[in-house]
Amino acid sequence: MGGYGDVQMIDEKGLRMDGRKPSECRPIEIETGVVPVADGSARVRWGLNEVIAAVYGPMEAHPRKIQRQDRAVLDVRYNMAPFSTTDRIRPGFNRRSREISKVTAEALESVVLLELYPRSKIRVEIEILCAEAGTRCAGITAASAALAHAGIPMTDLVVSVASGKVNGVVVCDLNKEEDNYGEADLPMGILPNSGELVFLQMDGDLSQEDFKTAWDYNMEAASHIHEIMAKALKGGVA
Amino acid sequence: MSIPLVPELLRKHLADLAESDMRIDGRGRFESRAISLEVGILPRAEGSARVRMGDTIVLAGVKFQLMTPYPDRPNQGGLMCSAEVRPVAGRSWEPGPPSPQSIELGRVVDRGIRESGCIDVDELCIIPGERAWQVILDVYAVSDDGNLFDAFALAGIAALRSAVVPAERFEIGEDYPLSVSKTPTMCSYHKVGGRYVLDANKKEELGGDERIHITLGDDGHVHSLQKGLKGIFTAAEFDEIMEHAIERCAELRGMVNNAIKE
Repeated sequence: MGGYGDVQMIDEKGLRMDGRKPSECRPIEIETGVVPVADGSARVRWGLNEVIAAVYGPMEAHPRKIQRQDRAVLDVRYNMAPFSTTDRIRPGFNRRSREISKVTAEALESVVLLELYPRSKIRVEIEILCAEAGTRCAGITAASAALAHAGIPMTDLVVSVASGKVNGVVVCDLNKEEDNYGEADLPMGILPNSGELVFLQMDGDLSQEDFKTAWDYNMEAASHIHEIMAKALKGGVA
Repeated sequence: MSIPLVPELLRKHLADLAESDMRIDGRGRFESRAISLEVGILPRAEGSARVRMGDTIVLAGVKFQLMTPYPDRPNQGGLMCSAEVRPVAGRSWEPGPPSPQSIELGRVVDRGIRESGCIDVDELCIIPGERAWQVILDVYAVSDDGNLFDAFALAGIAALRSAVVPAERFEIGEDYPLSVSKTPTMCSYHKVGGRYVLDANKKEELGGDERIHITLGDDGHVHSLQKGLKGIFTAAEFDEIMEHAIERCAELRGMVNNAIKE
């Protein structure tokens, strides 16, 4: 099954199987207010990915032992719905979702002004309803939009996007096939206003040169996604 | 914040409104919130539906797996129905293992669908004793503003009615629509301010008493009943809501039929 390079993912014109150029993202839509009972929420549709994020709080942190005297705690959960993938996922936490929850929380903690809300808790729930590669990036992006929609003060939004490599070519925003057969994946969480990073992972095999290209693709994509997010937030806040 | 800190005040308010036959959001006693129902909305699921009733939003997704039939029923496949209310759906839903409330929800929805016999488990058998389809229906709350029961039941049956058996993916012939012979639908009534109302919202659930769930199949056959929470009701009260449920369940069935046709 599927080793490197035995599936043709880039055609002779240098285009990808879904017709995109190497530097191009899948279509992205962001909408706010999709969970009406939450304090803030957002949906990101990104290729076939559909992700919703809901924010509750700031509210009292209980049990008391989780309280911090000088700041709020950010309680982040990433979860995939049982029907979100080709093979059904058994409900409940697994190692993958725990790790993604952790790195997502740490990315968001870097921008949320938690010290404004001592002894309280802010809950961020990320739910993957339909998955097609890049759900962690879509999740972080949705979560930062939901936090902004909830009116939680932040130093910047977080836009997350991944680039990788297929058939020896660096490409932005891998789709499912590219992710399955690709040679590398570099997801980043970028602060669009400063170009700083709050989230970074990578697996695979990239030369220094390819790594630089992937990095630049992510930076370009982030400013494109930021525009979409800003538009959604300006139109979406009641 | 929408959740009242003092439910007793809310109870009093709801009782006062009931005096003049009013509800907190202005609806009539047996008036439902506006319902929208869409099918085929989740590309990774073999059948799916989204239901919106006011600010309550739920999804249902159908997946198929191959199973070995149970030794005592070698000619039968399986139907599994599971409900999840994750903390995304509301402030009051805490993370952790499924709460008794969410387990009750799943089981009541499951009974209504299963007991109607709408899925013939014999038809799910591929090779007796060796291979059969297991149909898994997952219902899932996005936003809970009350009456998840009816929303789950409606999304669940609509998702099943729209499901396609993914035989090609499992290399056992061509895809074909799942056969669903009946359309059970549920109506839930909540005692609010001393009388039953249809389709209670979250505030009415918080400030109300017991609830009764009725699932009726085609021809009005009764497939599942459930009384939940503390409270006492009379035979006359039950007669009244059953009479209403017969009419309302048929309307909901029509809604499912229309959504499938489109």
